[in-house]
Amino acid sequence: MSSSSVSSYRDRTSEFRSLSERLKKVEGIDARIGPGSDREMSTASEAFARSEFNKKASRIGLGIHETCQKISRLAKLAKRSSMFDDPVMEIQELTALIKNDITALNAAVSDMQTLQNLEVADGNCSKDRVVHATTICDDLKNKLMGTTKQFKDVLTTRTENLKAHENRRQIFSTNTSRENTFLHQSEAVTEPPPWSNTVNASGNFPPSVMPSNGVQNSNILRRRLAVDSTPTHHMEVSMLQQVAPRQENYTQSRSVALQNVESTISELGGIFTQLASMVAQQGELAIRIDDNMDESLVNVEGARGALLKHLTKISSNRWLLIKIFAILILFLLVFVMFVL
Amino acid sequence: MKITALLVLKCIESSGSDPIVLANASDVSQFGYFQRTGAKEFILFVGRTVAKRTPPGQRQSVQNEEYKVHSYNRNGLCALAFMDDHYPVRSAFSLLNKVLDEYQKNFGDSWRTVQTDSTQPWPYLNDALTKFQDPAEADKLLKIQRDLDETKIILHKTIDSVLARGEKLDSLVEKSSDLSAASQMFYKQAKKTNQCCTIL
Repeated sequence: MSSSSVSSYRDRTSEFRSLSERLKKVEGIDARIGPGSDREMSTASEAFARSEFNKKASRIGLGIHETCQKISRLAKLAKRSSMFDDPVMEIQELTALIKNDITALNAAVSDMQTLQNLEVADGNCSKDRVVHATTICDDLKNKLMGTTKQFKDVLTTRTENLKAHENRRQIFSTNTSRENTFLHQSEAVTEPPPWSNTVNASGNFPPSVMPSNGVQNSNILRRRLAVDSTPTHHMEVSMLQQVAPRQENYTQSRSVALQNVESTISELGGIFTQLASMVAQQGELAIRIDDNMDESLVNVEGARGALLKHLTKISSNRWLLIKIFAILILFLLVFVMFVL
Repeated sequence: MKITALLVLKCIESSGSDPIVLANASDVSQFGYFQRTGAKEFILFVGRTVAKRTPPGQRQSVQNEEYKVHSYNRNGLCALAFMDDHYPVRSAFSLLNKVLDEYQKNFGDSWRTVQTDSTQPWPYLNDALTKFQDPAEADKLLKIQRDLDETKIILHKTIDSVLARGEKLDSLVEKSSDLSAASQMFYKQAKKTNQCCTIL
């Protein structure tokens, strides 16, 4: 957003200069010679001061643009943060960096404002230049406010995310470990309060950042912040004994175990679906076997019928033969009797 | 993976005074007969020290030679467990949670008024000591994980047997198709012999 507005400034000073020279030529030639050289010199010196102002403005604009990019990166990080592998350190580093940038930019803008006021009070500059400088200042200030608003939004989304994670943790852990997770959160939250305090101190930002953190801290957490943030930082060194890792490992190990259980369950689900598909395929095979068996049954029955018919034919043929031979013999006898 | 002792103590906020033992269950059968009382005393002493140094609302694990002492202090009521290194830490803390819940259910808030060590044994603690020798009992997550792993193994075996069944079905398909082809030839032959010997 800021980049496009930076590039939308077109430098038309050369056009302006050529136009003014032409107008001067039109109005009067002698009017040019006298104050011309002075004007050139003063324009040169004014150009220096102006370019100083412009340099500052351009630097501030560049800074705002970079901060915008960082804020967008932070927003991406805050959105994608899952419950278990929070890039807490990265987010906090980035937050601190952005905050520093914003405060520096604020200071630079106020610097530029004072410089411009000095210039205005100093010499007789043209009204246009004053208007131009004031518009630049106002524009930069507006851009800065826009970026800080974005930053605030990102922070609120981040705290909402953290709250949602807290709620999920509460659902899955018992009473005592809830206190424990609050303690765990107190480790992370003792870092945000320092920067949120300085954010309030810079004055531009409404104190809405603090309440969003305050919503996240419950009463228990506030009490524990007072009581426990210091003890958790003291590592007791007892006489004979060597202290094992801190209690954050408890919640971390629980979360790791939960992740394992979750992945195992999903694996099991996959295995079940695989099993189902394999059994369905084998069901098809069984149907094929069934069909083949039916076909062979039909064939065998047909062949049996044919063979039976053949058998009957053969067996009945004997009868027929006997009958035919008997008739032939009868005819032969008749013929023999005729001849005789 | 052995639990040697379970203790419940009352911790006073001011860290000057020693915590007061509310319940004690220990299994010192692994030591020789003459060392048992010494071991019990040692357990009490170490327990008191660790409980004194555990701030309220905090869990702590301390390593002592070959034993680990896990302690959990909740609002002044502290539970300790002495176990060896193999016992998973997470199960230990869930066990301590359970013990504390049970104690509060049984005794309510009466423990706050106790000023001296109580010597009556608490049967739940003794039962817990024997029951929770296996960390899976204490930690539901561990039990679930174990069950899921067993189920996974069973499913793998099932899939293997299903694959074998698939192979057998394949061979059955082949045999049945051969059978049907053979029966078809048989039928044709029978029809042929039937046709040719009609005159005879």
